[in-house]
Amino acid sequence: MIALEHISKRFGAVTALDDVSLTIAPGERLALVGENGAGKSSLMNVLYGLYQPDAGAVRFDGAAVKVKTPAEALARGVGMVHQHFTLVPTLSVAENVVLGAEPTKGGLLDLERAVAQVQASCQRFGFAVDPRARVDTLTVGSQQKVEIVKALHRGVTTLILDEPTAVLTPQEADELFAVTRALSEQGLAVVLISHKLKEVLAFATRIAVMRRGKLVAEVAPGATSPEALAELMVGDAARQDSLSPIGGQGRGEAQAAVLKVEHLRADKVHDVSFSLHAGEILGIAGVDGNGQRELAEVLTGLRDYTGGLSLFGRTYTTLTPGEARALGIAHIPEDRLRRAVVADMTVEENVALGRHGAPPFARGPLIDFEGRRQRTDALLEANDVRPRDGTLRVGALSGGNQQKLVVGRELDGQPKVLVVVQPTRGLDIAAVAAVRRRLDEERRRGCAVLLVSLDLDEVLALADRVLVFFEGRVTAELPRADFDERLIGRRMLGVKDA
Amino acid sequence: MLELLTSLLSSVLDAAPPLVFAAVGATLSERAGVVNVGVEGMMRAGAFTAAVAALVMPTPAGVLAGMAAGAAVGLVHAWLCVRWRSDQVVSGMALNLVMLALGTFLLEAVFDSPNSTPPITQLPKWLGHSPLTWLACMLPVVVHLAVMRTAWGLRLRAVGEKPQAVAVMGVRVSRLRLGAVVLSGALAGLGGAALSTATLDRFEHHMPSGLGFMAVAAMVFGRWTPLGAAGAATFFAFGNALRIGLASSAPELLTVVPQGVLLALPYALTLVVLAVSGKKSAAPAALGTPYDPELR
Amino acid sequence: MREGLKRLLPSALAVATSLVACFVAVSLTRGFGTALDAFAGMVWGAFGDWPRYLETGNVGAVLRPLGEAGTKAALLTFTGLSVAVAFRVGLFNIGAQGQMMVGAIVAAVAGAQVELPAALHVALCLLLAAAGGALYALGPALLKLHRGVHEVISTIMLNWVAVSLVENWLVVGPLRASASGDNSISGTDQVLPSAELPRLLGETSRLNAGFLFALLAAVGTWLFLSRFRRGYEWRAIGLNPEAARAGGIDVGRCLVQAMLTAGAFAGLAGAVLVLGTELKYPATLGAPYGFDGIAMALIGGGHPLGVLASALFFGGLRAGGTRMQLFGVHKSFPELIQGLALLLVAARLVWDRLLARLFKRKSGEEAARA
Repeated sequence: MIALEHISKRFGAVTALDDVSLTIAPGERLALVGENGAGKSSLMNVLYGLYQPDAGAVRFDGAAVKVKTPAEALARGVGMVHQHFTLVPTLSVAENVVLGAEPTKGGLLDLERAVAQVQASCQRFGFAVDPRARVDTLTVGSQQKVEIVKALHRGVTTLILDEPTAVLTPQEADELFAVTRALSEQGLAVVLISHKLKEVLAFATRIAVMRRGKLVAEVAPGATSPEALAELMVGDAARQDSLSPIGGQGRGEAQAAVLKVEHLRADKVHDVSFSLHAGEILGIAGVDGNGQRELAEVLTGLRDYTGGLSLFGRTYTTLTPGEARALGIAHIPEDRLRRAVVADMTVEENVALGRHGAPPFARGPLIDFEGRRQRTDALLEANDVRPRDGTLRVGALSGGNQQKLVVGRELDGQPKVLVVVQPTRGLDIAAVAAVRRRLDEERRRGCAVLLVSLDLDEVLALADRVLVFFEGRVTAELPRADFDERLIGRRMLGVKDA
Repeated sequence: MLELLTSLLSSVLDAAPPLVFAAVGATLSERAGVVNVGVEGMMRAGAFTAAVAALVMPTPAGVLAGMAAGAAVGLVHAWLCVRWRSDQVVSGMALNLVMLALGTFLLEAVFDSPNSTPPITQLPKWLGHSPLTWLACMLPVVVHLAVMRTAWGLRLRAVGEKPQAVAVMGVRVSRLRLGAVVLSGALAGLGGAALSTATLDRFEHHMPSGLGFMAVAAMVFGRWTPLGAAGAATFFAFGNALRIGLASSAPELLTVVPQGVLLALPYALTLVVLAVSGKKSAAPAALGTPYDPELR
Repeated sequence: MREGLKRLLPSALAVATSLVACFVAVSLTRGFGTALDAFAGMVWGAFGDWPRYLETGNVGAVLRPLGEAGTKAALLTFTGLSVAVAFRVGLFNIGAQGQMMVGAIVAAVAGAQVELPAALHVALCLLLAAAGGALYALGPALLKLHRGVHEVISTIMLNWVAVSLVENWLVVGPLRASASGDNSISGTDQVLPSAELPRLLGETSRLNAGFLFALLAAVGTWLFLSRFRRGYEWRAIGLNPEAARAGGIDVGRCLVQAMLTAGAFAGLAGAVLVLGTELKYPATLGAPYGFDGIAMALIGGGHPLGVLASALFFGGLRAGGTRMQLFGVHKSFPELIQGLALLLVAARLVWDRLLARLFKRKSGEEAARA
């Protein structure tokens, strides 16, 4: 029995955890749900010794323990599988699994014994993975399995899974849950961190809901519904707005195709053909790593390609980001701090980024400080970016305001094509709704929108048409009228109909 | 011809050890993910300390003191880079500059001489060469085994590729990296000590005159493996011996290929190898990136 | 502006701490009185012997040290700018030393072998030296762009290639001064008088036009980075190359341009040394000016005016170092101060933590009072 008591944790000015208490019993399947940033991962990182709480205690069977390192957590039977993989890609599966508790013989690492041990663990827990394979040769699903074997191999009695299905297909996810359910029936306590309510309701024996660093409710899955859970997570009815479909009223192919790709090839993209029309949102569905991201990079000039790419009727054999921008292609990338903004520059300087060579941002070779300031002030006002101060570093803004700034900037130039990747990742409900509304407005204005999202619900809610990607190829194209989640799930896995 | 070869071999055995120790040391630090361009400064600390210590104690003890001095400089580098997540190149270059100035200053302040320390008893010769020569023949193999075949080595290689992987398995990233950098400093210090106690019998003001940077080149040339680094270091030392040998035995050759051009060769070769291997270079993935456990 | 001052604080504190530490070191080894005398000597030697001037009315007592300081500061400014400019696009130019050597040897050859009217000759020498340094820096930029070779490694290699080729071959071989009478001449031929940089203070001091060029270069670089579109692009690349690329900035071109500029500045450092002070390529360059440039760039916070400020300060200390010798302290002592200061700047996060704690306590006290 593990008890977390009155845990609080701050990161600078941000309170990540605020007086949270929670127990974990052997053999139970506890789901920890909440919006992004609600504190689910932070709480588990405290239990796993990665974060040190500012206040509160962790008790194992009643005894208070300071878990200062993951080593201590492992020693007490707590294992954690992180959302981002923590595997060394250049080492073999066996080497990854035994890391930290290596079998030795005469001072040297005993690789044969390591392989045998890992083989035994895989068999015992029902995973089919080759211990001698190098990790970077495995599929994402197999890497996820290695992560779990890593924890089980150390003999943990409590297993924390942080968003384990984020990168898995529905079928792979089902398999994962079947295996973990079997393990929990043998006495393993499983903590599932997720914001996917359907899988939570199907898997958990108990559900704890977190909101803004606080534990707001504990419910039994039989006594609740997705709607009730969503309400608990969000705290008001805003959820309704963001989940309701807003696509579907488009005029689809009636309008001209502005972008056409034929037999397009690039890294991870193999022979893709489709067209994108003015006034539609084309959704790209697929499991992470199947070439969707690379496609978006090709269309915005960030990645080399071969094959046909024509924009507004003209064919391009190469495309640079500068040329793409000049053609009216705007880009809202997935990771804004990496691709969209320079965190250590001011808001004004970031508003200029991408258009910094033309008025009102420049006069000849010089920067036009006055023009830039005026344009920035107008943009902050129109997009409700707070605070309204163009001289602040962008890094000092909250994630939601950074995203509003990026969306505002990219739409400021009235683009003809908009390439959007994971536009709502990490945003709170209100910001998600605002971003989705803006995308729909752009579609109505006549902009051609390409939406790449790993969140199938988001794609289904927004798109007029969906392309399903699997291993760099289009495995299905469905108009809105034919949307079918199970079918799309199968196509995301490359499974043909029986 | 045979005579020339044996004399060449003999001078390689004398000239290679400082470079071999330093290059093997550099791989340890870099395999753990910490850039070490401070080898030059660590060698200088080792060379100076060993020569000074050998004035008051037996020379072998002086060599140990030189190792300790190199390790101490390594500790500063590790503390700045691991504990404080400072820029690793900046820290290394800063240490080089400090050691350069400190060496000159102490030479002047303690010995009132701008050129060198008083002579010491050189290390004895075993089978015609210094014991450090024989150590330099064995050490790379031992370090290679340690890095490639032991549990510690597995962790070291893992921490240089992906520190998170090591951290979540309950191994302290900071301790592992700190240890590797200090060891790297100790080996660089040993290399420096070899210069002032075996190659020569005193510390000279210009020491190690760029050997530290050549060690870094050897490490890159040897694709970040201890044996590779040692091999490259020996190869560089061989080139150098050949140049010196030619200068005395066949000076007319040097009018065709000037000495300066031969001197530039190891560096130019390293550049060519880098240019050819390009992005497939064997550098550890997390090299130069500080690890922050609460940042993800 | 306050932000700017706050960023300078760690550098200033680092320099001050290093001065105090070195003072304590001399006090402990040579006695407090000697330390006081030596430091006073260093200061008078650096920034003018004002007491002696007031006593005797000898202007030279002030001008000579200042001139010497300015001469050294000019070189430090150029190599410092070389490193700082590369830093701005996120490249670490450890190769300023090698680029400076190339610039110096080019200036020495052009200064000795070409015959032209004075102003033109100087301009040509500077131009060729800048071009030489720039070309030498082009290699690492291209290797980085096309082959992914880290510029730290490639510039280190090129430094040693330059030392070997220039000082161990050209200067002792093909370009060695033709012996005239006595054979003790080392280095290359003397540059012609038409190629010498004009002296600013007549015969009082060696201070030459190179100092003015350094001032111009620092101010020009500052204006370029803060006022020009291209300067904005460089800064964006240095702070986030991926976002800059996605924003349509031609990152490759900017990296090449910045590296060429860095090499040109280092080349100019070589030219100013040769045409202003040495009047030939000496047997060796004499000091690791290129590595000092790293110290200047970092202590100056990467800002062109910060580089200028730290170059003036340490140029002064260098000039004053010679006076320290009178008190039995080695003249390389200022370099020790500089190295220590750099190490403390490298430990930047330590300072940030200390200062944050200090400010927090202060604001806490203020809050408590309010």
